[in-house]
Amino acid sequence: MKHFSLCLAFGLPLMAADPVESDFYKITTFETPKETAMEVGAIDLLPDGRLIMGTRRGEIWTVSGAGSSDPSAVSYKLFASGLHEVLGIAYNPKDKNIYATTRYEITRLQDVDGDGRADVFDNVSDAWGVSGDYHEYAIGSRFDKAGDLWVTLCLTGSFSSVTPFRGWALRIKPDGTMVPTCSGIRSPGGLGFDAEGEVYYADNQGPWHGSCTLQHLVPGSFQGHPGGNEWYALAPNMGGRPIDPSPENYQGDNKRREARQGGDPGRMVKERQRIKQLLPPAVYLVHGKIGNSASAIICDTSAGKFGPFMNQLFIADQSHSNLSRVFLETVNGIKQGVVFPFRLGFASGLIGGRMDGEGRIFTGGSDRGWGARGGKPYCFEKCEWTGKTPFEVHEMRAKPDGFELTFTQPIDPKTAGDLKSYSMREFTYAYREAYGGDEIDEILPTIIAAEVGAEGQSVRLKISPLTKGHIHELHFEGVRNRAGHPLLHTVGYYTLNEIPAK
Amino acid sequence: MRLLLLFLLAAAALSLNAAGKVQSVAADLGSVKIIRLKTLTAQMKYNENEISVRPGEKVKIVFENGDDLPHNLVFCQPGTDTMTMAMKQMEKPEEALKRQWLPDDKRIWLHSKMLNPHEKEELIFTAPEKPGDYPYVCTFPGHALTMNGKLKVIPMGQGLKDLKFALFLGNWKMLPDFSKLKPHREGVVPNHLIDIKLDDYKNEFGVVFTGKIHAPRKGSYRFYIAGDDGVRLLIDGKKVVEYDGIHPAGTIKEEAVQLTEGDHELRYEYFQAGGQIAVFAAWKGANFDITPLSSWRPAGWEKGAKAKKKAEYAPIPIVVAAEPVIYRNFIQGAGNRAIGVGYPGGINIAWSAESMNLALLWKGAFMDASLHWNSRGGGYQSPMGYDVLKPTGEVTPAFFIAEKPDAVWPVWDKTKRYEGFVWKGYTLDAKRSPTFRYTWQGVEIEESFSASGDGNKPGGHPTLVRRIQIKGDLPANSWCRFGVGAFERKDGRFLAKGALPYSIVAEGALIAGQNLVIPAKLGTLTITYQWAQ
Repeated sequence: MKHFSLCLAFGLPLMAADPVESDFYKITTFETPKETAMEVGAIDLLPDGRLIMGTRRGEIWTVSGAGSSDPSAVSYKLFASGLHEVLGIAYNPKDKNIYATTRYEITRLQDVDGDGRADVFDNVSDAWGVSGDYHEYAIGSRFDKAGDLWVTLCLTGSFSSVTPFRGWALRIKPDGTMVPTCSGIRSPGGLGFDAEGEVYYADNQGPWHGSCTLQHLVPGSFQGHPGGNEWYALAPNMGGRPIDPSPENYQGDNKRREARQGGDPGRMVKERQRIKQLLPPAVYLVHGKIGNSASAIICDTSAGKFGPFMNQLFIADQSHSNLSRVFLETVNGIKQGVVFPFRLGFASGLIGGRMDGEGRIFTGGSDRGWGARGGKPYCFEKCEWTGKTPFEVHEMRAKPDGFELTFTQPIDPKTAGDLKSYSMREFTYAYREAYGGDEIDEILPTIIAAEVGAEGQSVRLKISPLTKGHIHELHFEGVRNRAGHPLLHTVGYYTLNEIPAK
Repeated sequence: MRLLLLFLLAAAALSLNAAGKVQSVAADLGSVKIIRLKTLTAQMKYNENEISVRPGEKVKIVFENGDDLPHNLVFCQPGTDTMTMAMKQMEKPEEALKRQWLPDDKRIWLHSKMLNPHEKEELIFTAPEKPGDYPYVCTFPGHALTMNGKLKVIPMGQGLKDLKFALFLGNWKMLPDFSKLKPHREGVVPNHLIDIKLDDYKNEFGVVFTGKIHAPRKGSYRFYIAGDDGVRLLIDGKKVVEYDGIHPAGTIKEEAVQLTEGDHELRYEYFQAGGQIAVFAAWKGANFDITPLSSWRPAGWEKGAKAKKKAEYAPIPIVVAAEPVIYRNFIQGAGNRAIGVGYPGGINIAWSAESMNLALLWKGAFMDASLHWNSRGGGYQSPMGYDVLKPTGEVTPAFFIAEKPDAVWPVWDKTKRYEGFVWKGYTLDAKRSPTFRYTWQGVEIEESFSASGDGNKPGGHPTLVRRIQIKGDLPANSWCRFGVGAFERKDGRFLAKGALPYSIVAEGALIAGQNLVIPAKLGTLTITYQWAQ
């Protein structure tokens, strides 16, 4: 008792428990209407503060009161039902209508008589194929900075594309014209924009993907999976069809499930040089550690209302029921960056997500078909900042000789400047047809120096060697802030597609 | 007496081959067939609406009431109108209550007690000798309409005779043309069951089995196959069913074929690439149940190829109450861009946004979403109701241009979209009934439907009226085809002949070959569909 008061008197911190995620970001789980299963597929914002939400069961709901501090204030109204699976939804401020991306159609919905239920369902575009295979999901975006809608189309199954443009990203113009935009898509889980309006999608581990990835959709690019490349014949605007990956990257026999003898020679970093349209993934969302099934891409555009991570991206995961955080930069014209764990503990698999103007992330989904750690069959939740800033690595930038880290709070120079506070391993995945793959080609570099920045909130790490094309996994367990607290998350995975010259 | 009958039946199920050896495909006479029958929670249904047993077979039904209401299980003679029987006891409800709602009816030959929720009872009996469909029903008031099924008493069929095999060696990815190859060795199969028993080869070989199969009467017979790897079955030299390629043996494929009475040549071709070896064949006729022709059977073979489609999930019925309900998903028979609409009164349609045409219409319940809303949700779901009509070919459009309207209709090519058709969407009217919109040849066309009568009960005169509004001038020789098959014109209606009779009324329509057509031009076409009463 006496000791306790002495501590308070001197203002020293008590042996406080290490920080936990819920200290900084709160998850609220909403009740949803009992007459349905609210398997959230996509969310967008309406100008009056309501949300518009599409579900796997083909329903569209408007949601009121989800921003209230009292979760029981939420209410739902059914706007439309009977659509073929809604995995993209967008409010168009120009015509004030709702655009839904369904399996084979982008539908514009209008409520003409103002009764809160859609009456007119117009086909905006049905210009891609549908074969009846369950795997052919269509993930749709919001309106981009040009006023277009994007849709990324899953292959038929994991390996091939039996109907036009499965395995592609398409843009739909305001007049309904469909423009083939990127090839090489495998199994998209989410589609979103960064703070500049650049478009990204999340792809899933599988053939040609050792891990889930966050990929930059640059028009004209080939994103890695050659399964849909025959549709270049229908896309003259895309130019010539890319050459295929080297034959030794394919499985023993395409129809059999044989692993190729002799190892996995294919590497993204090498094949990029041969296949000129091939764009490497911006960030590998390291399999099993960050997640197993990346989905929604949510940009923090709240200018500080969601904490210190303005303009960074949050990636949801359907398998791990979590959100991860991505910081991106452009090096030699290529997007690359780092992914950090951010928040675990959502109630089901997450599929759709959106941040509102007040810095609240609304998200939800289901575990149906592949399972999820959350445990519930479906959920609708929000994630809000508590107002308390976590101690985290803020940004990680590649340098010619290492990395520069900035932090969300002033760091303790002693621990931050101590080489023993850090460790790094580098690895990559094979770029090959066989499904998924191990972390391979491991390199354990030396951390040569850790120079704390003059402002006391950054560290420049000198590391050798740096390996182009590898994921650089950095642990920073030893770093403390001025108050002596450890970092909330102590690992980051940086995908080093390019090493900057300066 | 019963033993003698059993023996005679067993003898009838055996057949002798030329060498005088007996091959048996009858059930083992000493064993008991155990069937588990349950009630589905919160639905007025048994978990099976069809069970099969052999004539005279010893059967044990384990009946479990998992629901929250009382239910029983009552078996009647073939032809019993179980609904009427169950309803009749309501004329004297106090007496019926004393009998626990078991009707006083001589046609009942087996029944359980009225089980309270979560009670169980075993019914042990010998199946009737006479083949037929013996209906079973729950006779608790109000349950009989949906809580019913049939006990099919049906014998097994005959097996193969004179079964021979020829072994070929080779490395194939698909079934080769065995007729061009020389066999490595040949022989007979003494027990006349298709089977691979090779000591010396495990990979890269093929076997062709040939034998005779006897069709007891002229009619339709269904053949089932499965294999690891590719298999193909031919009757009298013509392919009936095949499942080619390299694959595991779980999937059963089936096809029907018409056979005359008498012996037919059966040829079963198989190849093995590597890994597992499996061959399966079976057949079924109008008067005998699915009968294996091979030693090995995959799990669930008794239900044939339908075993995989059997519902594993509790149904999620899309309920139609006061207004039409739309369900867009993969509906069996309506292609890949199907739009189902359930109208109040038990009348339902499936529209195809691929062919811009009415694909199906049916009575009764609308759709069960459980296939699509569970797990990965793949596959085609058949309508939940009954009397499903397919007036035109699957996923084929109504409009066409031809000098003569009796042109043979295109078959759906899944690799192509229909030229000239542009899907525009639909608009709901005040009653929330959709009007489908599209263009053909640049001309706007709108189609709306209205339903009248009651498709949920007999005698309800369910009627569907289809209005096709053509809003511009079409090219010359444009036709709208809205029926294919054999139609007969009678009293101003077109009667569709076939297993499911129905009629169409359409002014200006005419029969042209296998087509029922109207000249298509600016204006409204009205087509009325009615099921036969």
